[in-house]
Amino acid sequence: MAYSVFAAIDVGSNDVSMKIYQISSGSGIKLLDTVSQYLALGRDTYRTGKISYELVEELCQVLLRFKHKMKEYRVAEYRAKASSAVREAANREVILNQIMLRTGIDVQVVSNSERHYLMYKGIASHTADFNHIIQKNTAILDMGAGSVQISIFDKQALATTQMLRIGAMRIQGLLENEQDRIIGFHDMLTEYVGNEMETFESFYMKDKSIKNIIAVGDEIAAMIKLVPELSIHNSINQEQMDAIYAKVQTMQPQQMSSRYGIPLEVASLLLPAAVVYKLFLQRSKAELIWTPGIDFCDGIAADYADTKKKVPLNHDFQEDILSMAKNIAKRYHCNNPHINDVAEVGLEIFDRMRKVHGLDKRARLLLQIAVTLHDCGKYINMNAGGTDAYNIIMATEIIGLSHKERKLVANIVKYNTIWLPSYDELNSSLSREEYIIISKLTAILRVANALDRSHRQKMKHIKASLKDKTLVISTDTIADISLEKALFQSKADFFEEVYGIRPIIKQRRTF
Amino acid sequence: MADKKYLKPEYYDNRELSWIEFNYRVLSEVKDKHIPLFERIKFLSITASNLDEFFMVRVASLKDQEHAGYVKRDIAGMDAGEQLVAINEKTHQLMEEQYRTWNRSLLPALKKEGLHIIEHHEALNKEQADYVDEYFAKNVYPVLTPMAVDSSRPFPLVRNKTLNIAALISNKDNTHEYDLATVQVPSVLDRIVPLPSSVEGEKTVILLEEIIEKNLDKLFLNNKVICSYPYRIMRNADLSIDEEEAEDLLQEIEKQLKRRQWGEVIKLEIEDHADKKLLRELKKQLSVNDEDVFKMNGPLDLTFLMKVNGLEGFDHLKYEKWTPQPAKMLHADENLFDQIRRKDILLHHPYETFDPVVEFVKSAAKDPNVLAIKQTLYRVSGHSPIIAALAQAAENGKQVSVLVELKARFDEENNIIWAKKLEQAGCHVIYGLVGLKTHSKITLVVRREEDGIRRYVHLGTGNYNDSTAKLYADLGIFTASELIGEDATAVFNMLSGYSEPPVWNKLTVAPIWLRDRFIELIKREQQHAEEGKEAHIIAKMNSLCDQKIIAALYEASAAGVKIDLIVRGICCLKVGIPKISENITVRSIVGNFLEHSRIYYFYNDGWEEVFMASADWMPRNLDRRVELLFPVEDEDLKEEVIHVLEVELNDNVKAHLMQSDGSYVKPDRRGKEAVNSQDYFCEQAKQHRVVEKRKDKHIFEPITAPETEEE
Repeated sequence: MAYSVFAAIDVGSNDVSMKIYQISSGSGIKLLDTVSQYLALGRDTYRTGKISYELVEELCQVLLRFKHKMKEYRVAEYRAKASSAVREAANREVILNQIMLRTGIDVQVVSNSERHYLMYKGIASHTADFNHIIQKNTAILDMGAGSVQISIFDKQALATTQMLRIGAMRIQGLLENEQDRIIGFHDMLTEYVGNEMETFESFYMKDKSIKNIIAVGDEIAAMIKLVPELSIHNSINQEQMDAIYAKVQTMQPQQMSSRYGIPLEVASLLLPAAVVYKLFLQRSKAELIWTPGIDFCDGIAADYADTKKKVPLNHDFQEDILSMAKNIAKRYHCNNPHINDVAEVGLEIFDRMRKVHGLDKRARLLLQIAVTLHDCGKYINMNAGGTDAYNIIMATEIIGLSHKERKLVANIVKYNTIWLPSYDELNSSLSREEYIIISKLTAILRVANALDRSHRQKMKHIKASLKDKTLVISTDTIADISLEKALFQSKADFFEEVYGIRPIIKQRRTF
Repeated sequence: MADKKYLKPEYYDNRELSWIEFNYRVLSEVKDKHIPLFERIKFLSITASNLDEFFMVRVASLKDQEHAGYVKRDIAGMDAGEQLVAINEKTHQLMEEQYRTWNRSLLPALKKEGLHIIEHHEALNKEQADYVDEYFAKNVYPVLTPMAVDSSRPFPLVRNKTLNIAALISNKDNTHEYDLATVQVPSVLDRIVPLPSSVEGEKTVILLEEIIEKNLDKLFLNNKVICSYPYRIMRNADLSIDEEEAEDLLQEIEKQLKRRQWGEVIKLEIEDHADKKLLRELKKQLSVNDEDVFKMNGPLDLTFLMKVNGLEGFDHLKYEKWTPQPAKMLHADENLFDQIRRKDILLHHPYETFDPVVEFVKSAAKDPNVLAIKQTLYRVSGHSPIIAALAQAAENGKQVSVLVELKARFDEENNIIWAKKLEQAGCHVIYGLVGLKTHSKITLVVRREEDGIRRYVHLGTGNYNDSTAKLYADLGIFTASELIGEDATAVFNMLSGYSEPPVWNKLTVAPIWLRDRFIELIKREQQHAEEGKEAHIIAKMNSLCDQKIIAALYEASAAGVKIDLIVRGICCLKVGIPKISENITVRSIVGNFLEHSRIYYFYNDGWEEVFMASADWMPRNLDRRVELLFPVEDEDLKEEVIHVLEVELNDNVKAHLMQSDGSYVKPDRRGKEAVNSQDYFCEQAKQHRVVEKRKDKHIFEPITAPETEEE
């Protein structure tokens, strides 16, 4: 049979859900079944910092039932992912271990940016005209309980992503005490959200005119249910948004719930959510809000189908990660020609050294990002660039990278200019494997960076070749490369230390 | 909320009284001389068992309300006390009518046909009397437990619904005039005992209680039996409170429960010429009020007539046994799944056989490509082939989920047995949702096919019970529709305790959305009427007593919507109220088969919509049960279902039309051809089989030149 059955499990903050899909190259990803169980893992984590034993027990029960359901469809493969509720729990490792022992289900924890990266894959795979939509500048608004993730596609590539702490549940809670004074509540919401948006706008949206908004989250789907008379299919225009807004403003959550079959938990969050959507629509002057109705499970399935080459996506998300990194570099006024030059050399070395370092394609991408961001610390301090770059990278979301990967990139950049102590001396939270990757990629970055020390791209047509214990880096140049050669030695020493291979520069003077 | 104008109590009938009215309609079948005698006996037995259930559930519940001082009035404006008074009066009348019919019409007719039922042992001849005494000594005496009542021995607990004999016996010590004694007529023995008959071709039977009465002195050897009479009581012994009452009431009653005397007697039945002293003594011991004493002119507990109906040798006095015919839309020799995949399939039971439904589960159990089977079971038959197939499926490694509704009234015990059996076989058994009975009838088969996972669904208006499917008129469909398949999956997820899906494609599920959906559909017709368009609703169900729906119907009728209702049982809606319900007709079909299907038709400005459901328009169906409403979308099926409604609307033999005073009369048939809808459907089903057979004969068709198309 030319299809496989796949299950995606989302261990979320408010509920645990599983979707079962039929995936085939012929007819794509088809949803077969959805089950979801309310489980307030997030409440435990956010209140007490960890998830109580009772809830873990309940979670295991739910997962066992999911397992039963998987049998029902003879599911061949599954992915189970947990986000912030588990990620931020102090007892996370214990929980994951417990789940594994009790249910045999391997739950992976994802970072905020990974989560959204998968969501975007979901959107791209479920929205037939995704590439068409993002031909015009597009913002994706992903509404969660605590925050709204806003990402902007500029010229069809992901340009920036920011997390705004204006999730419906958070602002509802924040202003809860004030809710009694009904009259003021609404204005207060608008002001609070408006202020956050203004900041975002002035930093990230000024030079971009947004035409489309793609909205994901429970609330937007519920809002559409409020206005059956408008027969909204998959996009909302300004006028329709006004109608929704008017309804949300005048109806009590109970009413919305009973009349339109919206779960009460969601109905009570519609007002703050509507404020966010309305204000964003107003400020961005976008024309349409697209509502693909995607959730995290869909994202997990799309990612699985894409990476397993069962249903490849027609949007290059790898490119998006790089494009994001370039935008960050631009923000910190990094020198673009220099970056390109270092990238070219660095990747040439990486590729020639493949058999020696044994790293995968993903590591190549990390190197590329490290190269792109290696100079951003200079924006803050010319002399302590390494540490500042580390801090900038750790504080910036790069969509598609896991937290671990971001840490790797930050360390590679940091130790580009700072002496890398031995693993034992370092005494950090890095694992030995991570330390080795950092060493290997830092060594390459250092060498590549040294070859354009002058930032003048003196060397052309750089080729690398591996001969026994030497890596010969040959270049066509007539320029004086004494500076590069002089500074190259210390970098070469480190490279040799890591790989046991000595890089040397060979100048082919061609006229 | 409906307009207040339509909610006036005088626009509604009390549901209990309407239910008694229904029994009058059944009784009219008993009186109908066109109906074979033994069928009439059966109908009389049905009225008797109906009344028993009514007392145990409805009257008991009203008594509870009265004791609790619950003052809420029903939609007709009556409080519990007023209802009880009215019920009492009407029940007395109904029972008198039952016995009048029995004595004046049935008993003599049976005699004429050679069946003698001896109601009093005094009428036995010598030979018969000897036989009876011997029968008593051999079979009855060993299982009797006579109990005398005196100062040291209190009155024993007489069990609900059982038949007993009370006797006054002489007091040994002569301290007072007499003692009371009681003995239960054993329910393990047959109520009717055949006697040797002297006349060729004739049968004589005697009632068991008469055999005991005749020999009562043998039970009280030291006392003299002064007099003895059979009696029977109904108790308010059912501790579970009727789920049909509102929740607030439930709490109210719970508070009062302690004050209530357990097992209060709510009805005492006794022969009408019973000794006054004995009756007084019984009333005292059982604490029965005068109005709750029902004196019968004939044998108690007429449900024994079902046994009489089963006596051999009287087949000529019954309808010819109906054999359900092969389903019109199915071919026996082709794989069922292939046929369903090709086209939706409609089944009309009992005209068409229930076998395909059993076969559906059976073949799914065997099919190697089937991954899962899910089914809701409400009431199943004693040796249900469906249960066996489900167990088999689980043993074959399929994922089998079965929702067994334990709360199905009077069937609890039976259900638990089957549920355990299924669990042992490895089925995943779900016992329903807290506070909600699962009344929906749905089966889902998940099958792995070449091109993907496919779902097959059966949806029905009747239970998955192969026995009752021979007697109940129900409809069902098979479909492989993807959208319905998705919904069916969501239904079972919901029943397993998962969250509801954000949207339903095709199905509407009570208790959450069903009433709103119906009201929406009614309102749409109303709107069309208001716009001057044609508007028509036809709805068929077992009972109609939901106030919100009735009010919506009144409003629609007032706006000009033509509404034709086919309601077998309770109907609280009234017809012919000026400016309120002048456009509404109500008819009730009481026939050989129990009308059980629920069909809802909406004209929808020419875009006709037809739905079927497991639900009636009753609050309990719309508020406290998991019910399903499903559309009939395939054009052929839709046409077929509309045809069913049309035929039933034309029925002038078994239909009773509601009058504006709430009574029912049979339609005037003068100048019209007689239409008996049930007979019609039988005929139709048989004819189809004839056609099918003829097809098999391979008629050779000549090849003719194709007709030329006109340019």
